[in-house]
Amino acid sequence: MADVLFKGTPAHTSGELPKVGSKAPDFKLTAGDLSEVSLANFKGKKKLLSIVHSLDTGVCAASTKRFNDIAKNRADVVVLVVSCDLPFAQARFCGAEGVKNVVTLSMMRDRHFAKDYGVLLTDSPLAGLTARATLVLDENDKVLYMQLGPEITVEPDYDRALAALK
Amino acid sequence: MTNITHRGNPVHTIGELPAVGSRAPDFRLTDANLHDVSLADFRGKKKLLNIFPSIDTPTCALSTRKFNEYAAKHPNAVIIMVSADLPFAQQHFCSVENTHNVKTLSMMRDRNFAKDYGVLLLDGLYQGITARAIVVIDENDKVVYTELVPEIRQEPNYDKALAALK
Repeated sequence: MADVLFKGTPAHTSGELPKVGSKAPDFKLTAGDLSEVSLANFKGKKKLLSIVHSLDTGVCAASTKRFNDIAKNRADVVVLVVSCDLPFAQARFCGAEGVKNVVTLSMMRDRHFAKDYGVLLTDSPLAGLTARATLVLDENDKVLYMQLGPEITVEPDYDRALAALK
Repeated sequence: MTNITHRGNPVHTIGELPAVGSRAPDFRLTDANLHDVSLADFRGKKKLLNIFPSIDTPTCALSTRKFNEYAAKHPNAVIIMVSADLPFAQQHFCSVENTHNVKTLSMMRDRNFAKDYGVLLLDGLYQGITARAIVVIDENDKVVYTELVPEIRQEPNYDKALAALK
């Protein structure tokens, strides 16, 4: 369990993010075409996982656009934006915002990803969704960097995430 | 378990809709302000639940507009859209489409509603979200009408549902 804040009020996650140096847990998430996607689908690339509670909220939208810009110039990196939004909402957002360089993945089928990555919120108005977190994985799925956003309404640390991708 | 189809392919729900004449199961769902709402909050009123897979897909959007038109002319009618969309997506739809006469409630926290009302899909492209269904509940929470739409892409029977609400 980890402590974060939502608009200044304490909130709690179900567990801890995977540790730096550990192998990232595999996952099954749902892509825009409703197909199942696992971590193994991106083997051989560096991955940036941007975990957000909803693309229809301001900070999540801003970070997704920022990571989309970063991904544009990095053929060796895949940016995975993971949220509890249904794939239909993710596709609507990306279409409206011209976001084409990230892969959006949905927890529509279950919250196993949120539990396995320790980011499921167990209380607060966002209970059932996820805390804000960023992970960088290497080509072999080893965790190089992770940040759990201490205040859910604040953007992630882009500089440190980018440094970890170098 | 009930057999229906999605785009002509067989899919299965976890259970059966509550039987006409039975007491509607209580529920905990989440409104646009991220507040939890239960069936008891609408006691003393007739309610129509329009249950669907996602407000960001065409048939669900169409049914929301149609029920909103009715609700605009019948200010005492309680017509509630229930889906696995996050409240942010439901709100986005209602503000873009100006459908403020119906209520929207989300299964963001869990799928208990979907299980208790027997509409959770166990397989197919929409596994993890719900079939399309209508449940009309009277002032004392007794079920007076139900429809499980046999093909998910089809619209519900509006005339019958609204007649039951009168």
